[in-house]
Amino acid sequence: MLGFGELCLLGAFIASGFAAFATLAGCDDKHRALEKSALISSAASLVLLTLVMLILAIALLTKNYQFDYVAYYCSQHLPWYYGLSALWVGQAGSLLLWAWFLGILAMIFRFASSRKSDTLRQRAFGLLMANTCFLIATMVFAADPMARSVGTPTEGAGLSPLLQHPAMLIHPPIIFLGYAAWAIPFALATAALINKRFDTTWIQQARPWALFAWAVLGAGILLGAEWAYEELGWGGYWGWDPVENGSLIPWLLGTAFIHTMMTWRRRGIMKKTTVALAIATFAMCNFATFLTRSGIFSSLHAFSQSPIGWLFLALMLVLALAGGILIYQRRKELAPENQITSAMSREAMVAMTTVALLLLATVTCLGTLSVALSDALVGTKITVGPPFYNNVLAPTGLLILTATALAPLLRWGSTPSAPEKRMLKISATVGVLTMMGIVVGGATHYLLIAVTGIVAFAVAVLLCSLWLDAKRRPCDNYWASLVRCLREKRNQYAGFFVHLGFFALAIGIVGSSLGTQRHEVSLMQGQTIEWAGRSIQLVDIVDRQLPDKLVAGAVLEVSRIGDVPVKLTPEQHLHLLQNEWTTEVAIQSDWSGDLYMILHGGTEDGGVRLTLVDNPRMRWLWLGGLTMLLGATVSLWPNKKAARQNYNQPAEFSEQPQGLKAA
Amino acid sequence: MTATQRLFLGGVVITFATMALAYLGASSSWQFYLTVDELAADAASFRESRVRISGKVARDSLQIAPDRSQASFVLQGETAKLNVQYTGLIPDNLAEGIEVVVEGRLEDTGLVRGNKVLTRCASKYSSNG
Repeated sequence: MLGFGELCLLGAFIASGFAAFATLAGCDDKHRALEKSALISSAASLVLLTLVMLILAIALLTKNYQFDYVAYYCSQHLPWYYGLSALWVGQAGSLLLWAWFLGILAMIFRFASSRKSDTLRQRAFGLLMANTCFLIATMVFAADPMARSVGTPTEGAGLSPLLQHPAMLIHPPIIFLGYAAWAIPFALATAALINKRFDTTWIQQARPWALFAWAVLGAGILLGAEWAYEELGWGGYWGWDPVENGSLIPWLLGTAFIHTMMTWRRRGIMKKTTVALAIATFAMCNFATFLTRSGIFSSLHAFSQSPIGWLFLALMLVLALAGGILIYQRRKELAPENQITSAMSREAMVAMTTVALLLLATVTCLGTLSVALSDALVGTKITVGPPFYNNVLAPTGLLILTATALAPLLRWGSTPSAPEKRMLKISATVGVLTMMGIVVGGATHYLLIAVTGIVAFAVAVLLCSLWLDAKRRPCDNYWASLVRCLREKRNQYAGFFVHLGFFALAIGIVGSSLGTQRHEVSLMQGQTIEWAGRSIQLVDIVDRQLPDKLVAGAVLEVSRIGDVPVKLTPEQHLHLLQNEWTTEVAIQSDWSGDLYMILHGGTEDGGVRLTLVDNPRMRWLWLGGLTMLLGATVSLWPNKKAARQNYNQPAEFSEQPQGLKAA
Repeated sequence: MTATQRLFLGGVVITFATMALAYLGASSSWQFYLTVDELAADAASFRESRVRISGKVARDSLQIAPDRSQASFVLQGETAKLNVQYTGLIPDNLAEGIEVVVEGRLEDTGLVRGNKVLTRCASKYSSNG
């Protein structure tokens, strides 16, 4: 099996390499004949990669310790699903998964459109195959998933207990799917640059992939935060750790890219920015891999040292350099067709948001690299803490929130009409009144006041915009008009729905980070305390033995004053194989906030020691994330009519259906 | 002034303001990142500053208070040693012989007063994986 797997991997390497070469060469009219063989060899590389995946998966399921990889991540008592998840826990496995995803996506990309293959699509496909070949090369030369164990182990080292969590079953593959998908907008942008074809064809093709990649990467980041929150047991969900930052940076750039694509399509401006963002987003996906695997960082997760990281850094630098040169050479073709005529227009908001997102991404990148940068520049290693990031997140976040809030009542290319201006004033009043309301209600922190005000303003703007839009489409009754305008402008309102999710996310982040409080407490059996508006009683202390671990838990009853009590059981697990304790927290969650409980251990007099954390508004964060995902899904849902309307009409008119000029 | 110019000016202002805020945030939170040996070699210049030190918890040195709110241990480098007095949440897997990162302040006496201990998260991407 091992030898066969090794052969398959080598075969996939050669096939994908040939496919990349033949596809790119086949773009030239003289070498059309190569196209078919390119397609066959790319299909072959996908089949071979699938075989390697299957071999490794079977080895993990049957716990075949001849595979070094299996011996390293599996053990006898590990449940089969965690055994399978080891496929993406280790380095070699995750590279394999990434390459496999990329192979599949490239095939879908190649065959998704019914249109005959054009040079743009073909070049992009060639670049995707080149990327697949790169990923397989890293496995062949540096991290072989098919490596043979030294000796014949009878028991594996086992999966780290911290990674035995449901979120870890799906978080890594989702992140890698996101990284793989970002390759497609990049490939299209680069193909357009090479082809010198700067109409909106490439954007039309890149849009669904960018949305997909954005949503998938976002979901991955959200799951990672969820895992950190539930498993790491320190009461928070985001630590500005290099691993987290690594996936956040491409997501921020990707968000900007999705918006600048629209300004290109609607107004013919920000073209260089759009192309640069497409390349940068993909480059930063590779950079994230460098961060986690180069070993230049000592963070909680990124501790390892391997040559893989440097390969990815090299790829990133090549991309940045080649992209920069290409954009410079095509600067004339990429010149803007229009000017931004009004600061109160959608393109102005996109420009502002792009600046804010870029700043945030740059600062995150600088902070992540602070140790390496300070060492290189001043010879002392310096790390920066969360205040560095948070200080930047606050103003840029407020700027992005404001721009996002305004968007529904603004237009592409002109100032708002009179009714829109009136609605803006009404919404602003709502926002200001809300701010005054919560100040009277006792809020003191400027961020809390500002965010609440902006969110109220944003919701008002969205409702007003819906009302104006529905009024422009007279039907039998108001609801029918509303449905009609939602249907006709589905993509736009799906976008605004994503924005709503963003507002909920902002509430969750601000609420939980400003209002969080901790309390360390020792409780005796039967004792009740009152804390953070809840009453908490220790009911029982329990011990259990499972095949692979010992479990000690405290059973507590928690109720908000006057409510039905809820049972919570924070635990400590002793994993026998690793002889390692892990904390299993218990969380009681409702719309006003989370009570997060960490059990530390027993006291000498028979009680328990706990840390209680109150995280207000945490649910809003998850709600926001899910809303954003849902919005993106709606936006991605195939809609032939809308696609025709959006792309085949001159940009100036696509904002409103024909014959329905502003009311 | 055209809209483009206004936006450009706005962008410049925002960029500088953000960078200034980032600097303020960094200056209130930065730490010197050192190994035990690097710190011991140049202890005088790091006195009373925030440090983040990586090293190994020495054998037979770890003492954890019964209520697990405090711990003291010797942090060992290649050659040098450092006494650490730590107050705060103690990680589950803090033990003798493991690699840790301690954040805190270096006192005049040469003692490190720690307020955060990070233990190596069990290999996620280990070099031989």
